Amino acid sequence: MPRLNLYQEEFYPSPIQNTWKEFKENHAALMSLYCVIFFIFVMIFGPLLAPFDPLQQHIDFLLVPPAWDNNGDISHLFGTDGLGRDMLSRIIYGCRMTFGISLVLVIISMLIGVSLGAMAGMSKGLRSSVVNHLLDSIMAIPTLLIAIIIIAIVGTGLVNSMWAISLALIPQFIHQTRDIVRQKMKKEYVLAAQLDGAGKVHIFFNSILPNMAEMLVVQVTLALSVAILDISALGFLNLGAQAPSPELGALLSEGLASAYVAPWNIAMPGAAIFLMMMSINLVGDGLRSALRYRLLR
Amino acid sequence: MNVRRLHISISSPVCMVLVCILSLMGCSPEKNEYKHPKGIIYCSEGNPASFNPQLDTSGTTVDVSSHQIYDRLLDFDLVTGETVSGLASSWTTSEDGLIYTFQLRKNVEFQNTSYFTPTRSFDADDVVFSFNRWRDKNHPYHDVSGGRYPYINSVGLADLISHVKRINRYRVEITLVRAESSFLSNLATDFSIILSAEYADQLQAAGTPELIDTQPIGTGPFKFKSFRQDRYVRFDAHPQYWRERSSTGQLIFDISPSSSLRLAKLMTGECDSMAFPTHSQLDIIRKRKELILDEKPGLNVGFWAFNTTKPPFDNPEVRKALAMAIDKNALMEAIYFGSAIPAASIIPPSSWAFQPDSKSSIYNPLGAAKLLRENGIEEGFSMTIWAMPVERAYNPNAMKMAELMQRYLRDVGIQANIVSYEWSTFRARLNQGLHDSVLIGWSADNGDPDNFFRPLLTCSAIESGTNRARWCSKEYDTLIDKALTYTNQEDRAYFYSKAIELINEKMPLMPIAHAFRYQAYRDNVTGIEINPYGGIQFRNVSKQ
Amino acid sequence: MLKIMLRHISLLTLTLLILSFFSFSLAYLFPGDPLVNLTGIRNSSEQGYALLAQQYAMQDSFISQYWQYVNHLFAGNWGLSFSSGLPLAEEISRSLAASVELSAYALIFSFVIGLPLGFLAGLRHHKFIDFSLLSASVIGYSIPVFWLALIAILIFSIQLGWFPLSGRISLLYDIPYQTGFILVDILLSDVPDKEFAFQDALQHLVLPSVSIAIVTCTIILRITRRSVIEVMNSEYIQAAYARGLSPRQVVLRHGVKNALIPILPLLVMQFTTLLTNAMIVETIFSWPGIGNGLIQAIYQRDFPAIRAGMLAVSALVLTFTITIDMVIQIFDPARRRPEHATS
Repeated sequence: MPRLNLYQEEFYPSPIQNTWKEFKENHAALMSLYCVIFFIFVMIFGPLLAPFDPLQQHIDFLLVPPAWDNNGDISHLFGTDGLGRDMLSRIIYGCRMTFGISLVLVIISMLIGVSLGAMAGMSKGLRSSVVNHLLDSIMAIPTLLIAIIIIAIVGTGLVNSMWAISLALIPQFIHQTRDIVRQKMKKEYVLAAQLDGAGKVHIFFNSILPNMAEMLVVQVTLALSVAILDISALGFLNLGAQAPSPELGALLSEGLASAYVAPWNIAMPGAAIFLMMMSINLVGDGLRSALRYRLLR
Repeated sequence: MNVRRLHISISSPVCMVLVCILSLMGCSPEKNEYKHPKGIIYCSEGNPASFNPQLDTSGTTVDVSSHQIYDRLLDFDLVTGETVSGLASSWTTSEDGLIYTFQLRKNVEFQNTSYFTPTRSFDADDVVFSFNRWRDKNHPYHDVSGGRYPYINSVGLADLISHVKRINRYRVEITLVRAESSFLSNLATDFSIILSAEYADQLQAAGTPELIDTQPIGTGPFKFKSFRQDRYVRFDAHPQYWRERSSTGQLIFDISPSSSLRLAKLMTGECDSMAFPTHSQLDIIRKRKELILDEKPGLNVGFWAFNTTKPPFDNPEVRKALAMAIDKNALMEAIYFGSAIPAASIIPPSSWAFQPDSKSSIYNPLGAAKLLRENGIEEGFSMTIWAMPVERAYNPNAMKMAELMQRYLRDVGIQANIVSYEWSTFRARLNQGLHDSVLIGWSADNGDPDNFFRPLLTCSAIESGTNRARWCSKEYDTLIDKALTYTNQEDRAYFYSKAIELINEKMPLMPIAHAFRYQAYRDNVTGIEINPYGGIQFRNVSKQ
Repeated sequence: MLKIMLRHISLLTLTLLILSFFSFSLAYLFPGDPLVNLTGIRNSSEQGYALLAQQYAMQDSFISQYWQYVNHLFAGNWGLSFSSGLPLAEEISRSLAASVELSAYALIFSFVIGLPLGFLAGLRHHKFIDFSLLSASVIGYSIPVFWLALIAILIFSIQLGWFPLSGRISLLYDIPYQTGFILVDILLSDVPDKEFAFQDALQHLVLPSVSIAIVTCTIILRITRRSVIEVMNSEYIQAAYARGLSPRQVVLRHGVKNALIPILPLLVMQFTTLLTNAMIVETIFSWPGIGNGLIQAIYQRDFPAIRAGMLAVSALVLTFTITIDMVIQIFDPARRRPEHATS
């Protein structure tokens, strides 16, 4: 017996609901979303979860293997490193740092990039042609290279590396935003709003921005995975986060010193970075597929 | 829109290419198939500062240059520690001990390289040049490359020698200002190398004298080929070397500052031997069957020194009681992880002055407590232990050692407080004598026992800062000075044994341990020996 | 076509000019004496310093100093490194050649593996093999390249002992520098046992190039797959089937060409990603490339080396991208972009 529908209206799911429905069908993407939520949880509640202080050295527990090994100790679930610091706490704080910093960077670059791109997209003229070409050339350079070059100039350190990576991420946002804005400016509803007397800013925030929100979300996930990779790569090269900071790349670089005695010191932080990136990539992929196919079902 | 099913048969070109590639990737080449050119690769820990060990005291510079490129007049026998002949085939000493006459070896050829071709073999001119370079402040080569000769200056060799004279082509006479029997040992150290006077003249004429230290020429088993900063130092074999050599081809120093990278290269075979394995790596090296770990007690001692100028530590009974309260054997495992032997005196077993039956303190907490009470030290007495902040072979973890000693001292009713500063601050304050006691140690510069006894406990060493116990005993000083006036080892050993007895009686310091020196290498390499008296030697090394 | 070339060459010149100007001004931005930062010669005598100041026109205006600097660059005088004291031009060209060699072999490897697999996945869209390849590819490009390199070393080098882990060739071989490409140099040299040296160099190449190639391989796989899916869904393929061509003929005659050509530029652009990954991985493998050199220079605050390295890498990458862009636009009219920002 069909479900009794007391209401006469029909149910039209909004675009977001469509996207979510499509996204849900993709099991891998859904799992990764849970994973990402887990990382966000760890990021916020890290200090409460970590059993020890990440910088505290336990001199009697040097290079203890993880708890599932014969020589391991349950008090140190992931073992300890060469200076006796608990790996589990370090990884929790490290995820917090890497993930948190990347989020912050992406948000900053997004804000700056979108505003600049919007301004570029809504203006016309020859000057933007030169800027366009320059922008395209810069976009071809990988972000990590740009970041390394900026660090070469301003010097090493966590804050410098943060500036470097956000600067390197901005061109992508500018390019995408400018393209989309230019596209949307040709649409009729924008023309209608202009005929109504709306100013540029109003048009942008009310007509264009909602229509590019999805594309923006996909861009953000892409940029997030790039940012995580870059931050940890710079930490690994000791150009960004410095020891004894528990950032995941720096953890990896410190673990190198005892890699053959204690392979868990490089396996664990690397696995954490890998998991982070894979979940974000899968969420991004899932979103892209969902956006592409949501209207086809 | 559906895509029609495509049948991709196994024989399709795409599949074939894939299969080919995958099978190629499965090939695991055997390392032994390839015939490498002959040579030894040694993983070293850093860049040499120059190729003349006299200009530097860093072990890295010494290891690269001293026994590879150069020879000395005398050498140390690696087993007995006695001085044996090197470039000097024999020598005589005058009655008063002031004049040494050396008979030089004939037909010793200098190295022939792309930048120098020798026209004559080694003779007295080279010896005179080599000595006068650092002795004579007005010598044209004295200030080349800086003009500082750290080791030679620290033992005062320049002031000790009054003149160096060439008697004939193969005979040289060196006259001293006063008799010192450690002189011959100083001639056998890594720093008393012989340079080529002919090469020096050639460089001077060309206007590039500093090349003598960066593009070196010597008589040693390996000739310098090239050096790339942070990468490698290459040596070729010196075909006319005067000693018999094993069949090494090249010698290459692979510069790898990271010790885990050195270990990795040793494990894969990219290096045949490595420098300075760390404590945590020793077990891995022992476990792997293709690696060999040699250990030998080094010429060093770690000790606990009391500030003998501060009461109650000026009372030898108090010092002896404190020493009895510590269990040295427990410290061996906890601090040294078994890589040291407990020390009975300040002289290690590898020195010829070692007395096998000398007894230092024995662990006896009850006796210690009794002795302390008898001498007026009541329960609750507090003292400071100063602990080094840095890691040294003779004491890898002074802080931890101090903590352990704290517990032992508590058992006899003493409250010990641990004090430490940043290393240079630490040494500066030690020099001011602010400490009650300190955990520190000493590594010898040469094989002569005088190098232990004099800097550690003589009165004049308080001024130079190496006498941490600030102990001044005329009796001790006399014994040490007298030992130098004899040239015969047995005679000297007698005085040194008396000195050791005196130390044990008065206990200005408690010797703790002599740390081992390690050498790690692959099992197909032979001839690497630990040289307790100086830098590494590759002359006898060969590889299967 | 001439217009395209001109436009690109002018763009290239403009960017290079900006880069060199930036590199020049860094001499002032870095701490220390600008002349010392420019030349890399420290501790020079009074006359030496005065002579250098004259050569670099330090008394004149900023612009004329910049002009002198550019002249010096073209003359091959890139200054001396602070840490090694050697001329930078030679050091940089050597390191750059080493990195380019590594990236080039990795690119070839990822083409050889990625393209066929991408085709396979695309032709078997939404089948099992497609899904498995897709999942494998996600893993492939989510792995941080430095971690992959470390794991590869731990397994293949230390545990199994199949491949060496440092350098380009065993130090026992002394191959004189000619082109900077080790494989070419071995063939050109007169070392005895050339084939053993060659094999040794190949062995040293495997781990580094495979670890950086895997990431690019997965990207190429995805790009190819998407392109193949689009092409196979297009109408002319349907028409070909309707004409009666067998699936194999369709793929070989129409599919491959039409799938590859639009994405070729994208694929070649992966070279820059490879170069960046190579720079990271060089420190792990002690590969003497520009990445290792630049990073060491950053640690040691070797300002002339940092400036020169930065200039060299950015110039290389930009030249490469702009040239490829030019070539694409010449050969494929459909991709020509409008010259001015039109509405």
